[in-house]
Amino acid sequence: MEFGPILRSLLRNKLGVLLIALQIAFTMTVTVNAVYIIDQRSERMARPSGLDEANIFHLSSVGYGNNFNESVVSTEDLALIKALPGVLDATVMNAIPVSGSGSSTGVGLEPDRPETSVQTAMYTADENVLNTLGLNLVAGRPFTSNDVRRGARDMDRTQSTAILTTALAERIFPGEGMQAIGRTIYNPGGGAIEIVGLVERLQTPWAESSFIEQSMIIPEVVNDGSTLYMVRTAPGERDRLMMEVEELLAAQGHERILRNNRSFEETRENSYRLDSVMATILYVVIGTLMFITAMGIVGLAVFSINRRRKQIGTRRALGATRPAILRYFLLENLLISGSGVVLGALLTLAFNMFLVQTFDMPRIDWFYAPVGMLVLIILGQLAALAPAAKASGIAPAMATRSV
Amino acid sequence: MLKMTHISKVFRTDVVETHALRDFSLHVAEGEFVTVTGPSGCGKTTFLNIAGLLETASGGQYLLDGEDVSSLNDFQRARMRNQKIGFIFQSFNLMPDLNLFDNVDVPLRYRGVNAAERKVRVERALDAVGLLSRKKHLPAQLSGGQQQRVAIARALVGEPRFLLADEPTGNLDSNTAEGVMELLHEINNNGTTIIMVTHDVVLASRSARNIQILDGRIIDDRRAQPKAA
Ligand SMILES: Nc1ncnc2c1ncn2[C@@H]1O[C@H](COP(=O)(O)OP(=O)(O)O)[C@@H](O)[C@H]1O
Ligand SMILES: [Mg+2]
Repeated sequence: MEFGPILRSLLRNKLGVLLIALQIAFTMTVTVNAVYIIDQRSERMARPSGLDEANIFHLSSVGYGNNFNESVVSTEDLALIKALPGVLDATVMNAIPVSGSGSSTGVGLEPDRPETSVQTAMYTADENVLNTLGLNLVAGRPFTSNDVRRGARDMDRTQSTAILTTALAERIFPGEGMQAIGRTIYNPGGGAIEIVGLVERLQTPWAESSFIEQSMIIPEVVNDGSTLYMVRTAPGERDRLMMEVEELLAAQGHERILRNNRSFEETRENSYRLDSVMATILYVVIGTLMFITAMGIVGLAVFSINRRRKQIGTRRALGATRPAILRYFLLENLLISGSGVVLGALLTLAFNMFLVQTFDMPRIDWFYAPVGMLVLIILGQLAALAPAAKASGIAPAMATRSV
Repeated sequence: MLKMTHISKVFRTDVVETHALRDFSLHVAEGEFVTVTGPSGCGKTTFLNIAGLLETASGGQYLLDGEDVSSLNDFQRARMRNQKIGFIFQSFNLMPDLNLFDNVDVPLRYRGVNAAERKVRVERALDAVGLLSRKKHLPAQLSGGQQQRVAIARALVGEPRFLLADEPTGNLDSNTAEGVMELLHEINNNGTTIIMVTHDVVLASRSARNIQILDGRIIDDRRAQPKAA
């Protein structure tokens, strides 16, 4: 192989080589870190909410007239909804998981020491919540209608039951979360809460929260003017029932408006919209950078080959076969890309350290840099292939041409 | 050594058809020193290109070392150039980015010679043209005559039986040209067959055999009387 002479010859043309190598290094740095960010985001997006996501929708009812009795209407509404063929179950809740808004509270083992409490999302719902959301009960029991407390926002909450996610139970009782059934925890306000059940998973309303798996459901229906219905349907029936339910409730003639009739999937997607927009932008940036870099490599190769037509003819005259000329330019490209990706690996890690420190992201996995190096080397070889093939077609007689 | 029979070469473009060689027959024996003269455009380079396997003839037969080369493919021709033929060009054709050592090394690398042997042979060839001490220099740091000597070293390093030179002194002043000619004669005396195209009638008149080409045909093939020892 002609490794030595090619390298020495490249070192005499540092500027062009350096520019392309820098471009490759920069492309690799941006690409690898962008892919890493996209991966992080899609990992977040892929986390299950705990719900039967495909078959749930929600609808809000807001009363306005003086004759509107929320408690009566919501009971009627739920009965109407559940009677529709295709509806599996329905409940009223205070918030939608992963929707962006809801309420949180602290819970702990000691009523008077809020500083030791653990943060959790607080959902309220009636006894049908597990079946409606499709949550997986792993210990204890579901709520019964006797558990459910109904009333105004300021009702008495000194004594209550609750179902927790295992993640929350594990935070409160490290190492013995699964044995939490029957134990009592406390709100900062002093209310005692008896844990009656554990569900495998139920994400908080906030996709960005640091305690996304820590949720608690209190069996409670609060009449505060606005009612949120959650409805679970048989597979494939959701979209039809979304329309039917809204029409049915509207036909009851109550003094209220129905709004926010959406599938859970749509609501969830909206919460992650920024993530997916960002991923799209990053993909476009990566594609553009790769394209520009490939064009740069093609440009440099074409330029250096055109400049050396006579040299190539001379090499052919001296005994170089066509494959040898092809190899020469691919090897030359490999050396340029090689130095680019080595520099790129260093820049990638430096840039990732910056991301880690500035945005508190986890460190990049070790394999990102080598994979990035490989991808850019392949990109370089592919970009150099056509010019190199053209060079190998230069006639040996070029050596004696008098221009 | 070299035997051409009724060789023709036609260059076709959309507009014109150029008959660069017509009915060209020539026999060169082993160890000869043949000069080729003729006006510009008469076909000298074309003849040399075909002789050196840089181009294929349009018709006729060409035997090199007894082998009919018209049946060889591109790859085999490259191998044959590498092993049997040395080239010297008017404008030297050194690789400007390679030092003298790497320049002379080029044909040996294509032959797949191992590094240790290459070093010995490259240094011997550079020494033979008096430029070993400058092996790390770039071509641009040398005079024209010195560059041509490097090119000669490169042509000889593979010990070809057959040396082709296209106006090797065309870019040199007459003193320097004289030196290069002495070197070529010395090489010829060591048994290498040389065919040299030249413009210079004085140089041509000094060779043992001179061929004149006009319009793609040999019009004169003159052998000098053997020199008295
Ligand atoms: N590749 C080519 N394509 C077309 N015409 C060519 C080519 N090479 C040489 N010729 C033509 O062939 C003729 C002989 O050229 P050449 O052998 O280079 O002459 P010389 O070396 O004697 O000056 C000229 O008319 C030249 O224009
Ligand atoms: Mg010529």
